[in-house]
Amino acid sequence: MWAGRGKTAVAGIGFSQLTRTHERPLGQLAIEACRAAIADAGIEPSQIDGLATHPDQPFRGAGNRAGEDLVPAAFLIDHLDIGPEVEWYAQVSAGLIPSAIIEALNALMAGACTYALVWRAMHRPAGTYGAWREPFAGGDSQFTAPYGYTSPFQLHAVAYQRYMHRYGATREEMASLVTNSRANAQLNEAAFFNGTPMSVDDYLAARMISEPICLFDCDIPVEGCAALVLTTAERARDLPRPPAYVAAWGQHTAARPTYVNYMLDDYMACGASTAGKLWSRSGLGPGDVDAAQLYDGFSPSTYYWLEAAGFCPEGEAHAFVQDGRVALGGELPVNTFGGSLSEGRLHGMGHIAEAARQVSGRAGPRQVEGAEVSIALDGSPLLRGAGLLFTREA
Amino acid sequence: MTPDRPRPVLDALSRAYWEAAGRGELAIQRCEECGHYQHPPRPLCERCTSSDLAYPAVSGRGVVHSFTTNHQRNVAGFERAVPYVNLIVELEEQAELYLLSDLPAGEADWVAIGAPVEVAFEPIEAAEGEAIALPQFRPAGG
Repeated sequence: MWAGRGKTAVAGIGFSQLTRTHERPLGQLAIEACRAAIADAGIEPSQIDGLATHPDQPFRGAGNRAGEDLVPAAFLIDHLDIGPEVEWYAQVSAGLIPSAIIEALNALMAGACTYALVWRAMHRPAGTYGAWREPFAGGDSQFTAPYGYTSPFQLHAVAYQRYMHRYGATREEMASLVTNSRANAQLNEAAFFNGTPMSVDDYLAARMISEPICLFDCDIPVEGCAALVLTTAERARDLPRPPAYVAAWGQHTAARPTYVNYMLDDYMACGASTAGKLWSRSGLGPGDVDAAQLYDGFSPSTYYWLEAAGFCPEGEAHAFVQDGRVALGGELPVNTFGGSLSEGRLHGMGHIAEAARQVSGRAGPRQVEGAEVSIALDGSPLLRGAGLLFTREA
Repeated sequence: MTPDRPRPVLDALSRAYWEAAGRGELAIQRCEECGHYQHPPRPLCERCTSSDLAYPAVSGRGVVHSFTTNHQRNVAGFERAVPYVNLIVELEEQAELYLLSDLPAGEADWVAIGAPVEVAFEPIEAAEGEAIALPQFRPAGG
């Protein structure tokens, strides 16, 4: 078992408004989310002495203006009442936001800081974005762009096609998972699709993006920010909110394959290695988990995580998500906040915030009764897979 | 509608691949030490780390590992080519040795996972203007 189990905790959670496209400068939204997280933790901004984020935007051609296109640590040091300096900060370039959280947890345990603020600010410019615009293709793209193959939804489509073929999965089965997330979003006032229900027929009628991926298999891009305050378990116990103790973290560290080599078997191997680290470090297993927040930047990723983490046997997730098994009140509630599909694309921060809420009894109308253990598994899982396991007790 | 394809920028690792394709040969980077094929080409063998790498011709035969029909206009030059199908082809020389291909959705009735394919070469220009060719895959014996 990992010596760090139960030594750190989530003490505060804050969200900005989530909008469909850019309306206010991203820096304003980040400040809003960070202030909310600090207030939620019951501390003063001046007590924040550590910062960590993954600042990059996940689409081709993103700008780099601090406070407008992205929110780096320096922007918060300048604009949040925490300075003029902090003890420690990290900006990770690899991994989704869990990698920044892992850095912060390690810094807390090393005594490098006492209260760490982690945020993820997502920009969503108006109009089309993220497309391939260049007439030339160098590097590994010379083997993909000339074939018109440049976007993550295409990679996910070929892996999902293979999954459907190998295991006989159907779009009707996926409709159960996607509409379950949308139903959960009706219990989450922060969710972009709160107030917009979806039926199975709505899902099946959606336009195709890259077959078999349809519009509603893709998460909803939003502009906004979510933030967490992390601290040591000792300090967290003295704060007003019940802590969510970190039982383990896990990260996929093998080389990222190119777009030519990005296949279903790789997703499964990487997911199993990431989840395996959570189980071995915590001494817990899939059967102990009361609620699972499983990444759904594209909906099939939730299947891969269900299988790779051992919640169901390989090849059976499409059947596992039927009959209310993953609904609130079911055997394993999944994406109880609506997922990225229905809350909005916060690149994993939404999943982590919800996992923390569930074990601290703060999930409101979507609370899983008596939740003791909850998991957040982020990434595709091949692309930047990482996870966190939380417990109610240290 | 034939797409106006982004043109490859040939570099030290990729030049042998593209020039071979221009001669009508599919040449895949292979480790001279352990025999491992890899694509895209890499500076070292990803299996044994040898730097003794060559680009021998391969059979050009394989099977469709997976595919997707793209409806989005996400690539400049392909706006009027949608919908088109991308194939992931696994070459017969080695498991998990993949290449891409594309074709109009209207010509893809034959496409299925496991369908046997063989290489064909579509003439294109590299970024610097050299005449090369883009390996494509079509039904075997078709």
